[in-house]
Amino acid sequence: VFLSPSSHRATRRVSLLAVVLAAGTLFPACAPESPRGPDAAAARGAAGGAARDTAIRLIDDGGREIRLAGPARRVISLIPSATETLMALGATDRVVGRTRYDVAPELAAVASVGGGIGPSVEAIVALRPDLVLAWENDKRREVPNKLAALGVPVFSLRTEDTSDVFRNIANLGRLTARDSAATALAARLRRELDEVRRSVAGQPRPSVLYVVFNDPPMTAGPGTFIGQLIGVAGGRLAFDDVRELWPTVAMEEIVRRDPDVVVLPVGEFRSNAVAALRDRAGWRDVPAVRAGRVVTVPADLLSRPGPNLGAAARALRAALHPELAAGDAAPPAPRP
Amino acid sequence: MTPGPWPLALRLATLAVVLAVAMVAAVRLGAVSLDTGAVLDALAGRGDPTMVTIVRELRLPRAVQAALVGAALAVSGATFQALLRNPLAEPYILGVSSGAAAGAVATVVTGWAARTVWALPAAAFAGATLSMLLVLRIALGVGRALDTRVLLLAGVVVSSFLAALIWLVLTFADIESVRSAIFWMMGSHAGATWRSVGTLGACLAPAFLVLLALARPLNLLAIGEPTAAYLGTPVERTKLVAFATATLLTAASVAMSGTIGFVGLVVPHAVRLVWGADNRALLPCAALLGAAFLVGADTIARTAAGATELPVGVVTALVGVPCFVWLLRRPVAA
Repeated sequence: VFLSPSSHRATRRVSLLAVVLAAGTLFPACAPESPRGPDAAAARGAAGGAARDTAIRLIDDGGREIRLAGPARRVISLIPSATETLMALGATDRVVGRTRYDVAPELAAVASVGGGIGPSVEAIVALRPDLVLAWENDKRREVPNKLAALGVPVFSLRTEDTSDVFRNIANLGRLTARDSAATALAARLRRELDEVRRSVAGQPRPSVLYVVFNDPPMTAGPGTFIGQLIGVAGGRLAFDDVRELWPTVAMEEIVRRDPDVVVLPVGEFRSNAVAALRDRAGWRDVPAVRAGRVVTVPADLLSRPGPNLGAAARALRAALHPELAAGDAAPPAPRP
Repeated sequence: MTPGPWPLALRLATLAVVLAVAMVAAVRLGAVSLDTGAVLDALAGRGDPTMVTIVRELRLPRAVQAALVGAALAVSGATFQALLRNPLAEPYILGVSSGAAAGAVATVVTGWAARTVWALPAAAFAGATLSMLLVLRIALGVGRALDTRVLLLAGVVVSSFLAALIWLVLTFADIESVRSAIFWMMGSHAGATWRSVGTLGACLAPAFLVLLALARPLNLLAIGEPTAAYLGTPVERTKLVAFATATLLTAASVAMSGTIGFVGLVVPHAVRLVWGADNRALLPCAALLGAAFLVGADTIARTAAGATELPVGVVTALVGVPCFVWLLRRPVAA
């Protein structure tokens, strides 16, 4: 059994807390960074005159129906990837509240309501939103319940795999009456993914370990958008048989499976991550790490599944198949 | 039993004023800045409905809940310290926090907490009560009378056992459960509503009265059990009732706000250091000071970092420890 408890150490409480806190920053769609809204202008151009004043009824990812009298005009997004999607749909002016992780210059004037998971309810209410976009969490719904009790409509989103990304884009387009922009954005992303998939056809498919967190080691399972994008970019997961989305795996199981490539997301706070991994007990015994087969991808692209899905796939392709990356707009060169 | 330097009425009045100031600050301050006029209007239900919601539905119930929990933890801590004659005694010593956490984690992992609003507090309360009963059962099974040393040990081992169960479950739980569980365990008053406040108040009021009525027997027990028995105190009954009541007080608080450390340990000590150990005065004074302290700490937690809320337990310790060290080092007046 390779899914070892992460709590075998004396400081189990501390280490588990660290995982959880890390999840707040490293976990997909939370990392502080400068989001990219590539081709936002293109999507904006395609938006057309989709505005309509009919009432909107939509089922959110928690199975709850939301009803809006008209397209949402004052949106608070507690999800950075949803904020980016709204921007890509040309609805930046509808965003009246954001989290402290949304640092795009276009959002500088938009009020922050704190973190996405524990936002200030008071700050949310004061902004008089007609729609709040929240994480779908089927474990505890303290903030959404509280907002609902105060009469604030909450639409919750869940993003696990790429199909979730496309559903979210369609839903956000519907909620803001930007349906045609949403359709155009989805079509563009499909095209971009197809392009990456075609470009790696016939290439060898290295086995890949994507490092979500390094101690205890946590990786992306096949049911996640990262796992799927690795497939699109011409790799296969070293842990392609796990059921968990983000499994914690034992170091010796990593050594045993001997991945061809270790992929490390690197953001501004983890710039020396490769060196740190090489020095780390356990990791330095992984053959790929010892042999220098560690490649980096920009954490900001891989942590926010939204309009930059295509860019994320290209970044992974550049990491896994550097020989193909020559023509890319922004190839993330592996750092020494 | 030495009379403090101030008459009791003056002490209570002073602490009531401190609590009132803390409550006013709690309603006045928040992530959204409102001027005093707007707050008064909102309290009266006039003016901007959004501001009325913020003041009457968010800030006020939260401040009241912090006050109730602070009072409950301080009184409970004072009672445990008297009963166990141990300065390290605190409200969670009989495994209440671990029991409550076990109940809470069970509802989070099974998804019950998300479906029913009351599932988590109810399960936390049940877990706390069950762990107390288990601890008492173990302690009563050893020897003929309730030995407080055995009780302490039983509390520690049951607590460790439940904590191990929690981490075992969380090790195999999905990340959302772990995150929700940890957030709950860090303690917060963010979930306060008028309904939760009402329920909490209805649980706490009778428990306060029971413990106040036991203040004199607790004084005698603090001297020593044989002496108390000799002076006519029904020792075993007093201990059982006091343990159970103090634990239920804690259990109700933990169910609503999670585990908030430090208040129950240090507030009774602070009152005792300044005004002496007579439980008849200590219990009401500790209640008021605990309430004021936790309301103040929660206000700091809500406002210190803008819209980002700090865990209230962080504030209670960061603010409380320096204050307490100062009190300890203060030259004691003869």
